[in-house]
Amino acid sequence: MINMEKKLLVEDHIRKNKRLTIVVCTMMAFLFTAVVLAFGYIFFRNIYISLIFAIPIAIGYVFVTYSISVKSVIAAAKARPANPNIREEKLLIHRVEEMSIAAGLPMPKVYVQDSDNINAFATGKKPEEAIICTTTGALRKLNQEELEGVISHEMSHIKNYDILIATVTIGVVGAISLIAEIVFWSMFWGGGRNRGRGEGNAIMMVIAILLIILAPIFARLTYLAISRRREYLADSTGAYLTRNPEGLAKALEKIKADHPRGKPKGSKTVAPLYISNPFKSTSASSIWSTHPPLDERVRRLRSM
Amino acid sequence: MLLWIGIIVIILVVFFLLIYWGFYNKIIRTENRIDNSWAQIDVQLRRRADLIPNLMEAVKGYMKHEKEVLENVTKARSALMKAKTPQENIDADNMLTGALKSLFAVAENYPDLKANQNFLNLQDELTNTENKIAYSRQHYNDSVLVFNNTIETFPGMWFAKRMGRKTREMLQIPEASREIPKVKF
Repeated sequence: MINMEKKLLVEDHIRKNKRLTIVVCTMMAFLFTAVVLAFGYIFFRNIYISLIFAIPIAIGYVFVTYSISVKSVIAAAKARPANPNIREEKLLIHRVEEMSIAAGLPMPKVYVQDSDNINAFATGKKPEEAIICTTTGALRKLNQEELEGVISHEMSHIKNYDILIATVTIGVVGAISLIAEIVFWSMFWGGGRNRGRGEGNAIMMVIAILLIILAPIFARLTYLAISRRREYLADSTGAYLTRNPEGLAKALEKIKADHPRGKPKGSKTVAPLYISNPFKSTSASSIWSTHPPLDERVRRLRSM
Repeated sequence: MLLWIGIIVIILVVFFLLIYWGFYNKIIRTENRIDNSWAQIDVQLRRRADLIPNLMEAVKGYMKHEKEVLENVTKARSALMKAKTPQENIDADNMLTGALKSLFAVAENYPDLKANQNFLNLQDELTNTENKIAYSRQHYNDSVLVFNNTIETFPGMWFAKRMGRKTREMLQIPEASREIPKVKF
């Protein structure tokens, strides 16, 4: 049993991480609005007309990424359903059953990915049709306490609707980039058209163009910040589910110390869904990372 | 003037009704969650009790000289079968957990038994149900905490009184099992 004081601390971690996600999501919304208005200004000298174009683009983009997400993730990972006749995979199913009870969620489908890496990911549009997948490397190299920690982290992604947040933010980033590209190419081809309309608003025009150029970069950075935030949140929610932060902390240390053979499988776009980024060296910290550094995650878990 | 007073009264009534609606639903929802958590615990307790005879059958041939250990498990199982209230169930289950722990500890001395596929299977299943019970209990107590907080704080306490709801009891874990980690693999 964790005593009351520690438990409150975990809850504080959860609250803090949720608050910061809201802040970053709001920034993303502002950014999107700014791009849309700049788009309208550049093309029509009227910031409202652009809404007619931009809103359907954004909604369409989010809808498409949302509706193909699950299948494409499973296909990219080359994952297969867990086989209850193999003891390692049966124990995995047991741990997932236990964590779904702890989280009060329906039982997700359990998949396994053949890979020597220690890794795991969760996907699915809503808790009722969620999927948890681990690598065979994780099943072989982690003990049951550590595996439980990893599953608790994935279950928290489902509980916190991180998959939804990830798909929607990926969609918004895509829409922002698409709008920026439309502006860029139309200026490239039709650059002469705007000449002679008066110099009065030249400064506004420059600001609008700068915004269009910088927005995709900022959108990408904001998305990565959200992704890292949600990782911390899933760590602390996972610790709250198991009441045992040590299990996940030890698993993360094992991931860090692990040197797998062979190339990582799967597509780069789904990297944020994994418990640790399968494509990056795991200790480096940068604003371009999908995940926070493992050392920092272990430190926060141990401080709970 | 009268019209304005009328409008204000209507707004206040609607406001009150909305709050009542929200709290009514929240109280019912958390109450259902508590009942559902208990149903979960109950299912797992039955499952565990059902697994014991198979386990006894599997170890019988190997553990002829461990009469006391085996008797303790059987005793705890029948206590579980007889238990009625949630707390009685949990107490009997804790007894069973202790008895099984000594059985598995003793089993370490029997290499033949440890290599037995059926025994290994049952051990995994029993660990699984044990962990499920522990987590259902945790979820039950979490739900009770949310429920009690809702109906004891302002303004939920008014609505709870109108609805005739009283605070629920958490499941107590005995002192002896509090020292060991909750989940053992």
